Amino acid sequence: MLTIKNLKAGIEDNQILKGINLEIKAGEVHAIMGPNGSGKSTLSAVIAGNEDYEVESGNITFNEEDLLDLSPEERAHKGVFLSFQYPVEIPGISVSNFIKTSINEKRKAQGLDPMPAKDLLKMMKGKMELLDIKKGYLSRNMNEGFSGGEKKRNEIFQMAMLEPKLSILDETDSGLDIDALRIVANGVNKLKSDDNATIVITHYQRLLDYIIPDFVHVLYNGRIIKSGGKELAHELEEKGYDWITKEADKQWA
Amino acid sequence: MGLINNIKSYSETLNLSEEKRGQLNSFLDEGFPTIKDEDWKYTSLKKIITEDFSIENKVGNVSDSDITNHSLGFENQLIFVDGKLISSPKIKGLTIDGFTDFESRNNNAIMNLNASICNNGFSITIDKNIVIEEIIEILFFTTTKNNFSQYRNQITVGENSEIKFVEKIQNLNNSTSFVNYFTQINCDKNTNVEFNKIQNNTSNSILIDNVDVYQKSDSTCAVNTLIFGGNFTRNNLNFEQNGSNCESNMNGVSVLDNNQFADNHTFVDHKSAHCRSNEMYKGVYLGKSKGVFNGKIMVRPNAQKIDAFQSNNNLLLSDDSSIDSKPQLEIYADDVKCSHGCTIGQLDDDALFYMRSRGIGIEEAKAVLTYAFASEAIENISVEPVKLLAQNLLAQKLNVDLDFSL
Repeated sequence: MLTIKNLKAGIEDNQILKGINLEIKAGEVHAIMGPNGSGKSTLSAVIAGNEDYEVESGNITFNEEDLLDLSPEERAHKGVFLSFQYPVEIPGISVSNFIKTSINEKRKAQGLDPMPAKDLLKMMKGKMELLDIKKGYLSRNMNEGFSGGEKKRNEIFQMAMLEPKLSILDETDSGLDIDALRIVANGVNKLKSDDNATIVITHYQRLLDYIIPDFVHVLYNGRIIKSGGKELAHELEEKGYDWITKEADKQWA
Repeated sequence: MGLINNIKSYSETLNLSEEKRGQLNSFLDEGFPTIKDEDWKYTSLKKIITEDFSIENKVGNVSDSDITNHSLGFENQLIFVDGKLISSPKIKGLTIDGFTDFESRNNNAIMNLNASICNNGFSITIDKNIVIEEIIEILFFTTTKNNFSQYRNQITVGENSEIKFVEKIQNLNNSTSFVNYFTQINCDKNTNVEFNKIQNNTSNSILIDNVDVYQKSDSTCAVNTLIFGGNFTRNNLNFEQNGSNCESNMNGVSVLDNNQFADNHTFVDHKSAHCRSNEMYKGVYLGKSKGVFNGKIMVRPNAQKIDAFQSNNNLLLSDDSSIDSKPQLEIYADDVKCSHGCTIGQLDDDALFYMRSRGIGIEEAKAVLTYAFASEAIENISVEPVKLLAQNLLAQKLNVDLDFSL
């Protein structure tokens, strides 16, 4: 589904990703872990198409299509979804209005008519139940005055509504207490299917107790320095990152 | 040649009273204001008044479809064609007449011109203790080409009464039209009045719109101004509070492009204690458009416990657009709460990317953010079709096919 080859990217003259290679197939869950400043958020921003970042070389293909040629909205239309680490507050637009607009823009791009309001509300209601979201939430302004946990839940709610093929969860666990974490993880697990894939970006192993990855990758200094199965996450939790990063420092010195 | 000469020759055909002759002469002596006048510093009439406008109105024809196309379709419509009142609703407790002269207290050059030779307009009187549920829609159509026209209107609301208006001036040909418009609203004790102005005239229309509101105690009056069309618009909106517990509300939304110009001058005169004013003006500027905002708040020495709020927020969406914004607070009482704020900015890039990552195209994302920006003022309008119109005009202006309601 997603193939990243030798991706080098950064901001202005500062190279952050120094050659990323990654292959993700439908139905898989990949966790990307790594210490602060290793380039985890940059990777997710580049996949989503944030124009603040410049791609120097390498390529990303998504279902046989060159992703780097597409605008952020086109990527979303093809099924890429990024759950933001820091969701943006948009005063003046309600959650329901925002989601309606994004769903209908996607449908427009696919040559479909807007979703009838009745169907849309029914769908929203179902997804709200899934994520244990209370009534009244739909009429609140997008992320305005939301707590950290509410913002993250709102991201997953949008994911549930947009039904993407590839979801990137960027530090979705940060700011969540254990109950919220369980609900969000449960939502993500229920949305999982053989047709979609998930990238979970996280600092801690905690989230991976709830969302079980098929593969774990360690990102450090702009490179994936180790990949393994879910047991790698446990090993990192136990031993920290030092034992791998020291070796990497030697190799790339 | 030129507007002043045309006014002069037109006035010679009239049989004016001594008083009106005096008002006209004082206008002719002074002339139209220039950028040397403090109140017109950023707003120039120089080019406009060199044009050869005709002063006399020939009453033309307006078809039913013109009315349908340019109105919000309320049942109760007051319709003027080239100054002539052709239709007026009949509602219990409401007296509607055509032009009826009255004295105004404002006597600058433009108001003197209006007072001296204007003979078009309406007079609406609302009896005491009446709540008019129906919205009164007032439509002014111009069919005469290159026309200078004036209106002089008075609305008098009796004690404990409530009423809402929607008003629109529409030019039905593509020539330049110039309207000098004046409405005086007298709000008696414990009244509630909402006046919505839809300024969406053709792209070469010129408007000077003056509104004076006089409020007695316990009255609430809101004037909402939506500017989408026109070439040149100058609004002078003045509130005078005479009595305690008055509330004056002003909401403004300007969305301009190309070479459009709009100037909102507001003045709230807090003359009595325990009163409030709320003012929210939002400006969105595209192309080479230009805006001016000047919000003056005066709190007189004995007007204690005043709560006055003013905000003017502006979005400049192009390199060539501009806004001059000036809050002007004069406070002579010591126990008051006055706040004002002014911002000039662009759309937030983080928010744009966030929306694009959700599949919302860049133009649509800009439109949604722009709508979100203006919505705070739009939401204060209580007449639902006016709100909806504002949303549609905004989408139209930003060239997107979006529906902001759910």
